Amino acid sequence: MIVPVGTIVGLSAVLFGIGVFGFLARRNIILMLVSVEVMLNAVNLSLAGFSQHLEDPRGQVLALFVIAVAAAEAAVGLGLVLALNRNKPGLGVGDLTKLKW
Amino acid sequence: MPLPAAIFYYMALASVVSALLAVTRKNPVHSMLWVLVLFLHVAGIFLLLDAEFLAAVQVIVYAGAILIFYLFVLMLLDLPDEEARPRFGNHWPFAAAVGLSFAALAWLPRFEAPAAGIIAGDARLGSVREIGLALFGPFALPFELASLILLAAIVGSVVLARRRAAGS
Repeated sequence: MIVPVGTIVGLSAVLFGIGVFGFLARRNIILMLVSVEVMLNAVNLSLAGFSQHLEDPRGQVLALFVIAVAAAEAAVGLGLVLALNRNKPGLGVGDLTKLKW
Repeated sequence: MPLPAAIFYYMALASVVSALLAVTRKNPVHSMLWVLVLFLHVAGIFLLLDAEFLAAVQVIVYAGAILIFYLFVLMLLDLPDEEARPRFGNHWPFAAAVGLSFAALAWLPRFEAPAAGIIAGDARLGSVREIGLALFGPFALPFELASLILLAAIVGSVVLARRRAAGS
């Protein structure tokens, strides 16, 4: 084992925090989706770390499923972005006020 | 410090820095390229963790397919004044507080991980063979469900992004 598993979990926590900040703070809707990808990557990192720590391949299998769901999320999310952009050009989430009363 | 640990700490530092740059750059294309740097460094950490197959999937699917897809959509859309607009909402200090507190919460228990070998693995870890056996053995049903999710995503994105025919 190269580094203790706690170090990997700490790195994963920091990356996840950066992703949360990006998702909540950015105004561009595509960059919000990319911040979600950063968060998913952080989770994959801790899954792989625990998989090595517990000597169990199931962690890596779960990380593979996370990647598959991330691909599906990217496809549907970007389809939604294209449909939104057709109705109202621009990617700012602050401009999407049609459902606001 | 032994060389593998030094490589790990370099990868960790580079991934944190590139993630920070990715969420703070003004130009969206620059952000995407920093996310690419992040993904490649995370793939390097996977290699250090004996997860060779995961590293390959990370490079091929994440960096090669998903990120290029994002870049493709970003360049399809016409965003002339994107750099002139503010990149963060006015609420960004709250967002920073939430991110920091979540990172602190997940950081706190990092040295209380359970001891190794609780779940006995019988084969050498990280071999592609072991992952394949798990995927087609105990995880066969979730594996098929993943293909169903991907099919639903394909159909859904086509339906969402399709231009409505005139008169329909």
